[in-house]
Amino acid sequence: MTTALAFLLLLLFTPLAPLALAQIHQSQYHTDEQFHEELVVRPLAGDHVNTYFQFTTRWHYGNRNNLYHTQLTPRVIAEILQTYDVKELHIGLTQGLWRYETWGYPIVEATGGAELWAWFSSPNLTSEDVDKQWMRLANVFSGVLCASLNFVDNTNSIAPKHIFRPQFMHLGNQSQQFVRYSTLPREIVCTENLTPWKKLLPCGSASGLATLLNSGYVHNTKYHSLGVKVRTLCDSSDPDNCIVELTQTANLVYDLKLLEQSSTDFSLRRLFGMGLNGYCELATSSNIYVQRNEQGERFQLVPQPQHELTSTVGGYTVLYGVYDIQQLFAGPGARLFNIAWVGAKGNSNREQTLPPPLYAHRYLLGNGQKRGRIATEVTNTHYEPLPVVLMELVPWYVHAYLHTLRLRSKPQHLHECSAKMLKFQLLHYAPGKQRELPTHLEIGFVLPAQSSALITIEVDYLLLKWLEYPPDANHGHYIGAAVISSQLPIGRNYTALPLEGHLFKDSFNASRATYLLTLRTEALIVSLPTPDFSMPYNVICLACTVVALAFGPIHSVATKLIIVERQTTMPRNLLRKLFHKLTNRAGKRSTDVVGDQPLKRKPDGEPEAKVEEVKQQPDQAESNQSCDKQASM
Amino acid sequence: MLPKGLLLLLIIIYSCAAEHETSMLPEAYVDAAQRSTHTNNWAVLVDASRFWFNYRHVANVLSIYRSVKRLGIPDSQIILMIADDMACNARNPRPGQVYNNANQHINVYGDDVEVDYRGYEVTVENFVRLLTGRTQNGTARSKKLLSDAGSNVLIYLTGHGGDGFLKFQDSEEITSQELADGIQQMWEKKRYNELFFMVDTCQAASLYEKFTSPNVLAVASSLVGEDSLSHHVDPSIGVYMIDRYTYYALEFLEKVQPFSKRTIGEFLQVCPKRVCISTVGVRKDLYRRDPHKVPITDFFGAIRPTRVSTDRINVTLANEEDFVNEVVQSEPRKQFKIILEPQFTAELIK
Repeated sequence: MTTALAFLLLLLFTPLAPLALAQIHQSQYHTDEQFHEELVVRPLAGDHVNTYFQFTTRWHYGNRNNLYHTQLTPRVIAEILQTYDVKELHIGLTQGLWRYETWGYPIVEATGGAELWAWFSSPNLTSEDVDKQWMRLANVFSGVLCASLNFVDNTNSIAPKHIFRPQFMHLGNQSQQFVRYSTLPREIVCTENLTPWKKLLPCGSASGLATLLNSGYVHNTKYHSLGVKVRTLCDSSDPDNCIVELTQTANLVYDLKLLEQSSTDFSLRRLFGMGLNGYCELATSSNIYVQRNEQGERFQLVPQPQHELTSTVGGYTVLYGVYDIQQLFAGPGARLFNIAWVGAKGNSNREQTLPPPLYAHRYLLGNGQKRGRIATEVTNTHYEPLPVVLMELVPWYVHAYLHTLRLRSKPQHLHECSAKMLKFQLLHYAPGKQRELPTHLEIGFVLPAQSSALITIEVDYLLLKWLEYPPDANHGHYIGAAVISSQLPIGRNYTALPLEGHLFKDSFNASRATYLLTLRTEALIVSLPTPDFSMPYNVICLACTVVALAFGPIHSVATKLIIVERQTTMPRNLLRKLFHKLTNRAGKRSTDVVGDQPLKRKPDGEPEAKVEEVKQQPDQAESNQSCDKQASM
Repeated sequence: MLPKGLLLLLIIIYSCAAEHETSMLPEAYVDAAQRSTHTNNWAVLVDASRFWFNYRHVANVLSIYRSVKRLGIPDSQIILMIADDMACNARNPRPGQVYNNANQHINVYGDDVEVDYRGYEVTVENFVRLLTGRTQNGTARSKKLLSDAGSNVLIYLTGHGGDGFLKFQDSEEITSQELADGIQQMWEKKRYNELFFMVDTCQAASLYEKFTSPNVLAVASSLVGEDSLSHHVDPSIGVYMIDRYTYYALEFLEKVQPFSKRTIGEFLQVCPKRVCISTVGVRKDLYRRDPHKVPITDFFGAIRPTRVSTDRINVTLANEEDFVNEVVQSEPRKQFKIILEPQFTAELIK
């Protein structure tokens, strides 16, 4: 009860000075540049909530020289369009995995890590030019987004043939189009990427919906994905009439169980750590769309949305509640705005969600570090066959063999024991080259209704050179996600924007004959044979120790003479010592005569040294000599 | 040389005549010599160690990052190198946050951070290329040290080191000779005015021993033969939070405000042996100014000497009116229908 009361205290009247500026309404003036901010909140199955931010800057510009004088479009975007022949660019920075089977399809597709692809088009453009421009472009965005995109080069880029089609409009059809695609599955996404991403927005993170994106709350999610999409659209009849469209998206999935253990109620403040402080003063429109049906039925909204609209796409109707933030903040007096989703009490029997028409999984088969098999499973739950195109980018350190490529339908029921081979409708294969090119594989087939297809290809893992291993070699190496594209005849679970549109609003009632669907599978991690890097060090240490230990005794045995010396009984007293010396000398003189012969008998050696060392009685000279011989052998 | 001397003489004579106070002169001259001549500030902050158990090194480097940013160096003039991701590490129970203290007083990672080199990009090669300005073609602007002869550069290194080297990512190391050569090359290329070299690692003093370049002030967390020690463990993450020297350095820097009178001399004494356990090493012989007269903001802040002018200055932009008119007069452009190519390969549908 107390929580419900707390939710009712929603409108906090706190004075916020900067909002005085909000009175100047941007849309009163006509400009060629427009900025829209949108937030879509969709409750998902299993106590998850999907929040999708989309910030669209659309600039209708005239001639090309004008491109430097931007107002809302970030200058860096205008500059790359000016400098490079890039016409369309997609960058995704994602952490986490989108669960298609329970969550349906996302509004914007992305794969874990960094993914980018771009279309280049210009008269007289060659493939070599594009390769150079592609690397430069990646380098620029590695600086702009603080990501390691500078690792994109020819060893991990491919030119997809069928799966990506241009989403831009170019000047006439005479100029060639080139596409480049690359993924960096290892890339991490954190505040350092969110910060520069927010700085590309006209209002930055100062006001508007972007204030909700606080790093602590964004990175607390199960899935978060930042996207940047740029494209140019030019009137085919008038080359001076062009549009630059920049779409920045942030797609987050919150797990409500992690936010609050006791209840599944949530609010903007609970999700993002704070309420909304207004709209971006430069925005033409600022809207929040809240899905009311399906999983959204469970919740009551406080405050009620200003109006509701229904959108029927491909035979499936979705109900949205709409909050127009500009209207809400139109009156004087600034405040923080919050929306609460209050779940009905005792409503625990949640309906099971239907899996979407098409989904895919990928895994590795085989054991050991020498070879394996990449298996991709595509499932069609629809009652009609679906055309599917699948693209694989296998990095150069994994060798894929085309002759082992198998495509067969997986039996759906246990009593069907035979796996039926499916026919390739399309096959494009560009073999990889060690340290130079990745393997590029694209296949197309028709997936029968209510069935799964299993695509397998056998691979060998390469033994890398010592310096090619990363510092954390034992972490394993990644194989990027496969991209799957299809055409759906129905709109179930389908929320993506139509390609002609640029706002989320444009997806309402956008029924088409078919719906283009793109999916990403899981990325794989392979453990390549990794040497023990400390082994050479250990071997050197051990070998040196053994040599050192052995060298000393052997050297002394080989070079020194072993002489058994008799204990002399030297008296301690000084007087007696003198006396002893005298008697000793007398004795020595007598031994010289006797001991002369054995010394002469010796063939080589240093008799002087021996004389010094040998302090012995004449009767022992013979035995000593044999000892010396032994030692010198 | 001669005109400068003459000018100085003239000034002296002039001020003598004007002030009639000769005792002021030498002090003013000394002050002028001690005053900084820098025009901009740069910071290169490097954490060279990977893996979760080196959390403290990331906290170290972020502490300094936080301070220089708070004191006014913009992100575009800070090159931050972090060899591993601690904030969004799966082992971090507080995603997106890195603390310097188990009590979680200061989130050194913050909400606004730009890491220029991260993960595998942090290598000895990239670091030396960055210092010497020999970055590869096409490197993004934010990954370059674009300093000049008027730049005061702060270099901060942390990681695991030994006598004469600092390890990068547990797989390679930079030696003190390489560092000295890099800085000498910076000097020859006029890439710094004054350089403050700060290093927190074991046997840190060995890293600045080979320096020969002028205007370098160096401080190290420990002398040769000594270990630098960490400060404390946070049981909730199971690793050491921060190293002692940087912990006390941050404690000092937190009290510094952009206009404070704190000096580098004070900063050099920030960690006495009883708290640091290791002896803080300082090398001043290459530095011509007295550290006790150098404001700490000469290296940790971006305050530039400002000249107040009462004269009229013309700052009109070229052709400003043209832009303004263009915007106002522009007419709505002709809308056109967006027709895209078929997005799905046609052969399959047949």
